[in-house]
Amino acid sequence: IRCQHYPPVRALQASAALRRASDEHKKEPLTSSSQQHFDSPPAGHQPEQEPQGPRPSYTGQGGQESEDYESEEQLQHRILTAALEFVPEHGWTAEAIAEGAKTLGLSVAAAGMFHSDGSELILHFVSECNTKLSDLLEKEQRLVQLGEAEKKPIDEFLRHAVEARLRMLIPYIEKWPQALSVLLLPRNIPSSLNLLTSMIDDIWHYAGDQSTDFNWYTRRAVLTGIYNTTELVMMQDSSPDFEDTWRFLENRVADAMTMSNTASQVQSTGEAVVQGLMGAAVTVSS
Amino acid sequence: CRCRALLSRPARRLRARRGLAAGPEMHFGFQTVTEEERREKIYQVFESVAKKYDVMNDSMTLGIHRVWKDILMHKMNPSPGTLLLDVAGGTGDIAFRFINYVRSVRERQLQRKLKHHQNLSWQEIFESYQKDKFNSLGDSQAVVCDINREMLKVGKQKAQHLGYSEGLSWVLGNAEELPFDNDKFDVYTIAFGIRNVTRIDLALQEAYRVLKPGGRFLCLEFSHVSNPLLSRLYDLYSFQVIPVLGEVIAGDWKSYQYLVESIRRFPPQEELKTMIEDAGFFKVDYENLNFGIVAIHSGFKL
Repeated sequence: IRCQHYPPVRALQASAALRRASDEHKKEPLTSSSQQHFDSPPAGHQPEQEPQGPRPSYTGQGGQESEDYESEEQLQHRILTAALEFVPEHGWTAEAIAEGAKTLGLSVAAAGMFHSDGSELILHFVSECNTKLSDLLEKEQRLVQLGEAEKKPIDEFLRHAVEARLRMLIPYIEKWPQALSVLLLPRNIPSSLNLLTSMIDDIWHYAGDQSTDFNWYTRRAVLTGIYNTTELVMMQDSSPDFEDTWRFLENRVADAMTMSNTASQVQSTGEAVVQGLMGAAVTVSS
Repeated sequence: CRCRALLSRPARRLRARRGLAAGPEMHFGFQTVTEEERREKIYQVFESVAKKYDVMNDSMTLGIHRVWKDILMHKMNPSPGTLLLDVAGGTGDIAFRFINYVRSVRERQLQRKLKHHQNLSWQEIFESYQKDKFNSLGDSQAVVCDINREMLKVGKQKAQHLGYSEGLSWVLGNAEELPFDNDKFDVYTIAFGIRNVTRIDLALQEAYRVLKPGGRFLCLEFSHVSNPLLSRLYDLYSFQVIPVLGEVIAGDWKSYQYLVESIRRFPPQEELKTMIEDAGFFKVDYENLNFGIVAIHSGFKL
């Protein structure tokens, strides 16, 4: 009976804090609204807790306040990240999520928070890969700015970025076709398209202002085409370290560059022709 | 209104007899009784209907209750190794479905493992069986808990009759005060039972207590129909047909009158959702089945 009173009160605090946070905006207000209850920030707590295996209960008695104030979203992120480890064995499924939840000390029933087709797991993975790519490109850009590295020509840069991003799929390559088909489900298309376009935009952002021949839409479309086709080739590639895929990628990027040159050539030829005609017209009229 | 006519007769008889002042006033169907009285009356209801419970379910809902329970099981999507507590589980419908589901998932799992092992020799495959402790349920367990001895008896008989031997336990217990320790179960279900609990908030708190962190609460219950046309048809069916069926099939008009009235008195979807959140559950959500005739509420202990 002692225990019965304790959890509901604390749970109310947690759920009230969460509801307040979700009403306003996500992460910052969460930490500020729980400032009064915090002893130590969660960032400091968690690295110590996780290696110990089964986590202490979220309604734990005594000293576990920090876990209650992790938002639902953060917990879901952690479960999904933990689940990635089980994807090669179980595929992008609720089973992998259940195993992931188990490693965090939660019940397997926690996988019920997600769709049984693994959509959220895949989207989470894609989003994580995109973030990793951004960080990588950012780091390299900083090196260039500091003068410690050479600025790559545009075609080499694109090749490097796409290759780096596709290499992140290698540990999951066997189950990736399944993931692609799930990403194409009507329900998931808005999110997956969003992630794809923001990744492409990111790459172009870090590519810098070298490519002024294309306009913005063309650039997006071209690189998206290169990325998607290379991804599909990678699915069927059995060469050592995917050499065939990278060669395919090189050819596609070269094509794109040629196309841009051709386009600018066509444009300048067109201008020259027009000027010629104008000159002829002036001559004829005078 | 039709309802008031039905309500007037039994209520007057009851209040005249009882002069007790025990406990706060509660509803028993459309009657008003004390807490103690309510528990007693509900116990008597189920004691008398126990033997005909399943038959009545089939005839009242035209067999659709089976579909509802199947949908609940699909929503749960249990993996092998899950520990289920089915409260007010009486005749075992949910527990049996759980066992079936887990068994088929386990079979698929083993088949997949076999496919992976196709390049191994017979010897190695045999040895891997020994290692895996080849069990058809994958260590899943279902505990059926009910307050009513008669209902549990019927459930146990059914289990024997249908050939369920492993993975089931039958425990006598009160949803408001479960005889289990904290943080024990992966999933807690209560199908068509929470309506009969006198203190729903206590039952929800107990559910929270016995669930493991990450555990799931699932409640399948009759709820409120918002569509006005359907609501009228539903009322008509409930008040005119069901008690008659009760009298004809089970010889018990009053119990089925109580059933129908208790459905009307039960809090609607949003209110129950709030109550579940108040008990401490997160990600609380509900899914209406058949336009709200039945609703599945789900929450997680995080």
